[in-house]
Amino acid sequence: MFVWGESEGELGINFDHIWQKTLTVLNPLKPADGSIMNETDLAGPILFCVALGATLLLAGKVQFGYIYGMSGIGCLGIYALLNLMSSSGVSYGCVASVLGYCLLPMVILSGSAVFFSLQGMIGTVLALVIIVWCSLSASKIFISALDMEGQQLLVAYPCALLYGLFALLTVF
Amino acid sequence: MAAADELAFHEFEEATNLLAETPDVTTISRSDPRTPEGQVAVAVGSGGGYGAEDEVESDKTALLQEPQPQPGFWTFSYYQSFFDVDTSQVLDRIKGSLLPRPGHSFVRHHLRNRPDLYGPFWICATLAFVLAVTGNLTVVLAQRRDPSIHYSPQFHKVTVAGITIYCYAWLVPLALWAFLQWRKGVRERMGPYTFLETVCFYGYSLFIFIPTVVLWLIPVPWLQWLFGALALALSAAGLVFTLWPIVREDTRLVASMLLSAVVLLHALLAMGCKFYFFQPLPLEHMAPAHQDTSLHPNVVLTPTPPRPMITEGLRLQV
Repeated sequence: MFVWGESEGELGINFDHIWQKTLTVLNPLKPADGSIMNETDLAGPILFCVALGATLLLAGKVQFGYIYGMSGIGCLGIYALLNLMSSSGVSYGCVASVLGYCLLPMVILSGSAVFFSLQGMIGTVLALVIIVWCSLSASKIFISALDMEGQQLLVAYPCALLYGLFALLTVF
Repeated sequence: MAAADELAFHEFEEATNLLAETPDVTTISRSDPRTPEGQVAVAVGSGGGYGAEDEVESDKTALLQEPQPQPGFWTFSYYQSFFDVDTSQVLDRIKGSLLPRPGHSFVRHHLRNRPDLYGPFWICATLAFVLAVTGNLTVVLAQRRDPSIHYSPQFHKVTVAGITIYCYAWLVPLALWAFLQWRKGVRERMGPYTFLETVCFYGYSLFIFIPTVVLWLIPVPWLQWLFGALALALSAAGLVFTLWPIVREDTRLVASMLLSAVVLLHALLAMGCKFYFFQPLPLEHMAPAHQDTSLHPNVVLTPTPPRPMITEGLRLQV
């Protein structure tokens, strides 16, 4: 454990923070702590993107290009919107980091696509629930980090559209 | 600083209540390039460092009338003021567009001269998205019922939908605004709406088409026409009631021509969407026959009844 701790410090990856952020995403109803986004780390998001690609691959769809393209453009769009809507600016890395963390429930969805086809009623309902879960978590973190009150649904809606695109990729 | 912000916010609340009580008060948008006074308070409320303490001591009416230098339209901060809306405000504006009331102009009553770009932008994006998705879903559902129909996901529909809706939502208000500016000389009492207010109420008027397009998934033709007509009636009524105070002082000919042009364009949009994204399904029946035999391409596209085509296909296959 001593060696592990040393390498953690050297690589600059703070596993405790990654775990905290993951827990925040997994529980969308708990209010988030605004200070966890002070450092933007892309290790978690990249891991989740690769996991999504891997689970899609297991289900038979090779679509890495679409995933990276859509996430890049989607991040850009959300970044522009948040800068317009909040009084304090936000950096692109922060947006990419939050959106990447909130992709975790989508990985769960595409993982379940390996076991049963999502093109029925159950699949549709599950996809909708996951989209709502992802966008609520993302908007919750953005609201607490950028101190935008009364605008959670307004931020959640564009995130829901973005995650809806990911869900379409997973289901069809 | 927080207390000053709170006080500035409350003053603005009282100001909007004043405006609501006296709907005919002339806090109209002037035709000069500076935005209306209502947005002054927005800038003060959101950016606490812009001398908020000074505004607290000033009079309510002075708050409304004080002109402030506006950033140019090429700067980012100019657009920031148009996204400073709450969830409740956006929901209120959407409700206002769904239920138009005669005599209540959407701009006066709901926008209160504070247009926002969030609503129109996302309503157009949603409408384009929903059109493309439901257009594909109708073919998927038809395929479930009748396996002979060939389905392939048509992603180009997303781009077509997006371009059509956004062009409509920006170019038609531009034309309307330009026309109203040109006719401005005829009116003395009320100034025309600013360009962004026009874009705003056009964008919100498109909201009713979103549930309509989803309901168009039901493959019953008369029901589809009924929903389409209902949505068109509500949406066009909202547009007409909003434009009526501006247009009623003009000559009757110009007023009636303008209003009928607005309604006609709206109807064209609705029907165009219905026909392009929800094509009548007999065309799908002809597609496999066309690919197997080398019929003249015009045969598939003309809206002739399906029976002769299918017998022709069968004859050639035999």
